[in-house]
Amino acid sequence: MIPLTTLAVGTRAAIASFSSNNEFTERLQEMGLTRGTEFTLVRKAPFNGPIELSFGSVRLAVRTTQSDSIMVVPVL
Amino acid sequence: MHDSIHPHHITFVGTPNCGKTTLFNALTGLHQKVGNFPGITVEPVIGKIQIQHSTVHLIDLPGIYSFLPKSVDEQLSVDIIHNKISDLPKTEYIVAVLDGSSLEKSLFLFSFIAELGLPTIAVLTMVDEIKARNGILDDITLETILGVPVIPVVGKKGIGLQDLRDSLHQTDKFLVPNTIVQASANIEQRHTAVREIISQVLTIREDKITEKLDSFILHPIGGPVIFLIVLGLFFQSIFTWAEPLMSGIESLFSYTQDYLRSTLPDSLLRDFITDGVIAGVGSVIVFLPQIILLNIIIVFLEDCGYLSRAAFLIDRIMGIFGLQGRSFIPLLGSYACAIPGIMSARIIPSEKDRMATIMIAPLMTCSARLPVYTLLIAACIPSIIVGGIFSLQAIVLAGLYFLAAISGLCIALVFKKTLFRGATLPFLLEFPPYRVPSLPSLLIIVWNRSKEFIKNAGSIILLFSIILWALTEFPKAEIPTGMTSLQAERIQLEQSYAGTIGKTLQPIFQPLGFDWKLTIGVIGSFAAREVFVSVMGQLYSADVSDSDAQLRTILQQTIPFATAISVMLFYVYALQCISTIAIIKKETGSWKWSMIAFAYTFMLAYSTALIGYNLVKLI
Repeated sequence: MIPLTTLAVGTRAAIASFSSNNEFTERLQEMGLTRGTEFTLVRKAPFNGPIELSFGSVRLAVRTTQSDSIMVVPVL
Repeated sequence: MHDSIHPHHITFVGTPNCGKTTLFNALTGLHQKVGNFPGITVEPVIGKIQIQHSTVHLIDLPGIYSFLPKSVDEQLSVDIIHNKISDLPKTEYIVAVLDGSSLEKSLFLFSFIAELGLPTIAVLTMVDEIKARNGILDDITLETILGVPVIPVVGKKGIGLQDLRDSLHQTDKFLVPNTIVQASANIEQRHTAVREIISQVLTIREDKITEKLDSFILHPIGGPVIFLIVLGLFFQSIFTWAEPLMSGIESLFSYTQDYLRSTLPDSLLRDFITDGVIAGVGSVIVFLPQIILLNIIIVFLEDCGYLSRAAFLIDRIMGIFGLQGRSFIPLLGSYACAIPGIMSARIIPSEKDRMATIMIAPLMTCSARLPVYTLLIAACIPSIIVGGIFSLQAIVLAGLYFLAAISGLCIALVFKKTLFRGATLPFLLEFPPYRVPSLPSLLIIVWNRSKEFIKNAGSIILLFSIILWALTEFPKAEIPTGMTSLQAERIQLEQSYAGTIGKTLQPIFQPLGFDWKLTIGVIGSFAAREVFVSVMGQLYSADVSDSDAQLRTILQQTIPFATAISVMLFYVYALQCISTIAIIKKETGSWKWSMIAFAYTFMLAYSTALIGYNLVKLI
């Protein structure tokens, strides 16, 4: 289990847990990023900007600074 | 058949970007009324359709993901659905708009809608996208599972619209949905249930086109290059395309003024009509080209899917100043004019980020400051070359632009650390698939926004313009015979209320090096910055109608260098624009924010001018 922010571009992983419960993590889950959901880290914006995740037909970007509460398990 | 005399109300509910607004616009055309809820970025719209003999009222709500709101906009939608807003009709019938290309999110929302137990019809949008991605959607099975009619449509092309229209006025077509999740299910349970439904009705391939386009548009090097090109075009178009239209409107109004002045008998009423009302109406209409153009570009960029990608690329830099990627567009727009700039801040979903952006938008160097800068720079900054190639005048001008931008961003940071601390809405950018925007729908949105500007901000601007006209026209001065009209204007202005106010307030501006004439110029241009030039022209009896050359020479002889710097620094910050004050009130829903913006910019303007004036005098 590793933090989402340490995941490399192009890697596939599954959501393991959200270490904090707030509106941000609730919204992610509403959009379909629930525990166990597999996603791909598609790209990172320049200068340590937001990261893009893709799962199902959803593509969304989150800020790395807000995502340290998200733990993931890489899918081999 | 619905045969009651009372029109029934149908509420349209859907996720953001689900094609709901395009569908709504295709159904109602221009028969809509935008609901006015202060501080709300995407407003509910009430539309009307007439089918045979019955009228049906349709209500389009801002997009939501669930019934668990995370922003004021979402709160409003949920409150309206739950009948908590008293001046809107009760929710009776629901059209649930399901985005076929993103069915999981849509059905997740539907799981909440189903719990309302209200008669519902489901509309399936983006069916053309499913086909383009070689997908198959079994709408008959979906109908059985959901327990409501499912009508596939392509809003842009009008496919399925007639079916939908027919159903809308037959209330017996609306059915209470089946229970698709157990009572009080949590988010995970809802998604599990929804995924189970999807596995029965939909097979779809990945969206390769969007993926392919993103690999160019969000490319580490190509992405920023495309971004800069788009920004360049954006900036260029509001400056160069709006400019001729604006000067056309200005000359039309000044022609009307001249015509009435020469035909109507000389009277106070005539002056009121020409210089008060017509000038005031003109000062509202003149904003329209920029508002229309900026909105067309922004709605287009938003609908085709580029805006959230651009925000992704610029987010890091805006984040340094406590803002977010989407703040970039309103701030850039404000370089042309703060009015459309502030209006476009609606694209920022987070209320606090939006407020901070609105509050600093007036600091961006709008085009109305340019006449003031060029007049003073030409008059008071020596036209010499420094460092071999740089013109000192150009350096000063660029410096003023740069100073404003940097100060604005730093002040945004201060606002975000104090008044707008934290983010009400978690930062999350969704990338919709690339789509070709529907032109009619785009035009309807732009039409509504322009109408709204005229109605809400326009009336305030008109009122202020008339008040300021009265301040310069009264009390009537005694004009000795034999005076030229330019001299007469000067005497009138000096003896008017505005002149008296300028002279009275002069001691306040004394430390900045302003004499009473400059003080009147600054006070007079409270209405709009560019008025400074004509007020100075009147005060020095200089003709500014052809070129500023005469005025420039006079100013060169009378205004010391330090004072010129001081005046320019004052204009960098001061919010001298009643239209901006009116639009801040309109967009934030409160005069409080207009006043705060005015007060903080004035304090900044005053202190910077004071420091600048004394520094230059020392050197």
